[in-house]
Order: sequence, then C-alpha cells, then structure tokens
Amino acid sequence: MEAVALIAVAVFLFTYALIIDERIHRAVAAMLGAAIVVFVGIVPWEALLEHVDFGTIFLLLGMMIIVNTARGSGLFEYIAIRTAKLAKGSPIRVLVLFAIVTAIVSAFLDNVTTVLLLTPMLLYVARVMNLNPIPFLVTEIFSSNVGGAATLIGDPPNIMIASSAGLTFNEFIIHLGPIMVVDMVILLLMMYVIYGRSMRVSAEERQELIRTLEGLDERAAITDRSLFNKSVAVIAFVVFLFFIHDRIGEILHVALSFVDPAMGLEPAEVALIGAAILLFWSRQSPEEIFEKIEWPALFFFGGLFVIVGALVETGIISSIAAVMVENVGSTGEAMFIVAWFAAIASAIVDNIPLTAAMIPLIHDMGATMDVYPLWWALALGACLGGNGTAIGASANVVVIGIAEREGIGITFIDFLKVGMLVLFVTVAVGFAMLWLKFAM
Amino acid sequence: MGYSSSLIQRKFKDIVGRRYDSVLKDYSEFLLTDEEMLVPEVRSILVPLDVFVHEITDEAIDVLSAYDATISLAYITDTEVIELLEKALDRESTEEFRTKKEEYGRKLLERVAAKLEEHGFSTQTRMFVGHKGDDVVRMAKNHDMVALCRRYADGESTDVSVSPIVLRICQRVETPALIY
Repeated sequence: MEAVALIAVAVFLFTYALIIDERIHRAVAAMLGAAIVVFVGIVPWEALLEHVDFGTIFLLLGMMIIVNTARGSGLFEYIAIRTAKLAKGSPIRVLVLFAIVTAIVSAFLDNVTTVLLLTPMLLYVARVMNLNPIPFLVTEIFSSNVGGAATLIGDPPNIMIASSAGLTFNEFIIHLGPIMVVDMVILLLMMYVIYGRSMRVSAEERQELIRTLEGLDERAAITDRSLFNKSVAVIAFVVFLFFIHDRIGEILHVALSFVDPAMGLEPAEVALIGAAILLFWSRQSPEEIFEKIEWPALFFFGGLFVIVGALVETGIISSIAAVMVENVGSTGEAMFIVAWFAAIASAIVDNIPLTAAMIPLIHDMGATMDVYPLWWALALGACLGGNGTAIGASANVVVIGIAEREGIGITFIDFLKVGMLVLFVTVAVGFAMLWLKFAM
Repeated sequence: MGYSSSLIQRKFKDIVGRRYDSVLKDYSEFLLTDEEMLVPEVRSILVPLDVFVHEITDEAIDVLSAYDATISLAYITDTEVIELLEKALDRESTEEFRTKKEEYGRKLLERVAAKLEEHGFSTQTRMFVGHKGDDVVRMAKNHDMVALCRRYADGESTDVSVSPIVLRICQRVETPALIY
C-alpha cells in the first residue's frame, strides 16, 4: 500500500475513533481529518469540491431554516400537547400516539428537533401518571428512527444516499415507506409485549392525568399565531414540492410554456425555496434564524465527505468494492451484506459517518453490477441500525441525554438489550420485503 | 459517572448544544414543575378582616374548602387611625369610636366565623389594634396560607382593583396567598 493510502486510512480510522469517543467535538474531529488529507495533497481543491456533497449540506441547511423558523411559533409544543390530550389518560394510548406522532414528524423534519421538542412533554405526562418514563422514551427513540427512514428527508443517511445516488422523494416513499409502516406496527407490538404490564394505572391516576392535561391549553403554546399558520402552510407546501420535485417541469409546463418539461428540482433546492419563502413571508429576523442553524453539524458533514474522499482518491474504496464484487454471487447476497453490515456498523459508529463511507463503495460496485437495490439496503441498514445502541443515532443520544439530565438513568446495557432486539427484528422484516421486491 | 454515561453527555452536548435549554424555557411557560405539581399541605389559613371587608365570598369558601384547615380570623383596627383620633378628638369621643369599632369588629368576626363553621371549618378569632400590612405579614409566618379580600385596608370604593396593601402583603409573605 502506498504511503498516501496509508495516511488516508490512518486519518479515516483516527477520525472515526474520535467521532465515536467524542472527547473532541465531532465537527472539529471531521474538520481536522479533512485538514490533514488536504494538507498532504491527497484531496486537492478541485477534488474536494467534487467530494463534498453540497446536495446534502444545502438540504440540511434549508430544512434547518424552516424548522428553526417554525419553532418560534410554538408549533411543536402545540403538537405535543394535542397528542397528550388525545391519549385521554391511558398510558398505552400515550405510548402509541406519541410513537406515531414522533414517526410522522420525524419522517418530514429532522429527528433531533422532533425528539428534542416531544421528549419534555412525554416526561411530563409520565410524571403526572406516576409511571416509569423509560418505556415511553425508548419507544420514542425507535419510532423516530423508523419514521425517519421512511422518507428522503427523514434521516441524514437517506438525505446523503438520495443526494449521491440521485434518488427521488417518491422512490423513498415507494420502497421504504411500506417497510417502515410494517416495522412501526411490529415495533409497537414489541413495546406492548415488553412494557405493557408496567403501564397500568389506577382509575384515580387516569383521572388525575386527564384533569392535568385538560388544564393545559394547546392554544397557549402558540406564541405567534400568524407565524404558526405560515409555518404550517410552508411545511405543507415543501412536502408537496418534495412529492413532485422530479416532475416539476412537466407540471409547470402546462401553465407556463417556457418551462422545460424535463426540468426537475433537487431536494436541496426544494428545501432552500421553502426556507426563502418562509423567511420572506414570516418577516422573521434572518440573523436570529441563521444563528440557530446547526453549523457544527454542517461542518461535520463537510469534513466527513473530504475524509472519505481521501479514501476514494487513493483507490482504497475501489479496492474494497472490487473485493466485494468478486465475493458476492448475486444482487440478493450483496443486499444482504450491505444491509446487515450497515445495520451493525451503524449501531457502533453512528449512522452518518457509516453512510458517508458506504456511499462511494456502492458507487464503485456499480461499475460491475446493478446497485439500485443496494441503495435501499444501505438506507434500511443505516437508519434502522441506529436503533441498536445508545449512540447509534442522534435521536438516541438526545433522548437518553435529556433523560439523564432529568434524573432518569437509561444505561447503555439496558438500551442495548431492547435496541438490538428492535434492530434485528425491524431490519430482518425490512430486508425480507426488499428481497421480495428486488432479488426474487 | 461511567464511561457510557459521560460519552452520552459528551455526544448530547455536541449534538444539541444550547437548544435543550431554550426548549425547556419554552415549555416552562405552560407546564408545571415538580414543585408546582405538589399540592401544598395547608393546616391553617389566616383571613385578615377590617372595616372594609364585609364578608367572605362563597367563591373563596369553595377554594378554602379544598384544604382541611383551621381558619384564623383576625380583625385589625389601624393604629394610625386611633392615634390620629386621639390627637384630633377628646378622650371620650376616641373611646366611643374605639367601642363602636370593636362592636363592629366583633359582629363581623361572629358573622364570618358562623358562615365558615356552616361549611365545616373550625375557626379562631382575634381582634387587635395594629398595622394592617406588617402585622399580617408577621402573622402569616405562623400559617400555611393567607386569604385576603381585595378591599382589605382599602376603602369603600366600588373599584374592583386590588388594594395596594393587599398587593404589598402578597409580595412580602412567603406562604401562598389567595385574593378573593
């Protein structure tokens, strides 16, 4: 192996170790790794611009602007209170309704914001019911990861895969949507079997919860009614645009003949258009909104793309891809390896850096085989693999971190026991459905 | 703190930053804290009365009946008023005024105590000359709650606003205060 290849591998492994351990901020670790490979000339400037996936970064940026603007209206608190009230004092209903709402919101907005805003309400409800909040919290984590896997914009691995492979929003809905619906049903059944017995409350406690929640006024959560309405309208419009983003030219051409019918919008463009509309319409201060953008996350992504780019530039990725192609006999076998490797590795490394490394590998495999099914296998494994451990996905870290701050300990091992079970069941079911679609 | 716990906290800090604090702040506007959720144990309630308080309202009795508490009724005549009268009038007239005041106070105490006892409360009564603000604040330290008529120490105005003395008492007492 050449010296540059050795350096690229060393930087990759060292950076990923830093990301796992997180003693240094993950964004700083990724930037440092990227700085080294740029400094030693493994990734020259022209190649750097090629390796950084601006589709992913701009899509994340656009959605961050939309979510942070909408947050100021009290939209998420409103959803949380409405959900709690709908449960009518039943713990099982609280669990199921919060799981469904978390999955749906996670499918269209980022998982971190979703769980960050729903968890305090869930903890409050559990406290009023005098119940152990852990079943509710772990169900929320799993629901967020499953819901996020259903759409192109739901989870960062999907955003990265879609941007790199040129997949559309509707393809995600078609191929992963049904899998995630089935997985959600299975997940809720599993949670009921595991935790159902611990969720019984007396009629008095139930009445107490109903009384307490009825005392909450969801309308009081709306701090800015005008912004609330505009946020809901823009989010609905953006979701609508995502559904038609690849056929927008066809649709516009009917009314505006000068529009090229072949024109399509990239998902990142849709997000940025939505962000621009919401900022313009709501008249919110752009300084305040831009301050709330999670810039470290964007630099983290940028750094990862460059580090993985170094492996591409030095031929490491193509060598691994060649070995894989030589050793797999069929598409189904390749799907099996990609899905399960991604699932298990995601649980250890965190699904974002894992996906960043897997994408160029699958691109290279595409030289000799049809890799279309492999993208879905990767999305399935990376998103659902995040359920495996407490550090497998950002939503896990956020919910467990909040729980710890509120004095509720969810140990790594306790989470692992349930998380691995959920990982194996949901990935197995998802893989079986993908197998039937692509490998039969 | 074990490795996994500190790892989660490190990752949490890096992913969430300061966002959780702002989320908590937003929620604190309408969710009760643990402390607020606990119903305070109220065993004795102080109800100050004076010449401006004519009765205790049924709404106030409804609220007070949520607690199994003894109610201490205290009729207070303002020291400053007595001192002013002593300076302005002869001794006989002042005594007459004081007697009439005491008579009014005793009747009011009896009437309010009877009404409260009808609702199952046990009551204690006392009457004294003192300071309507400071003495209530001092006495409140020995009670779990203070219930104040909005016109206490105010005047005969029909204005519905709360008397300034009542507001000052509310600012100074450490026990929960109810204004009726």
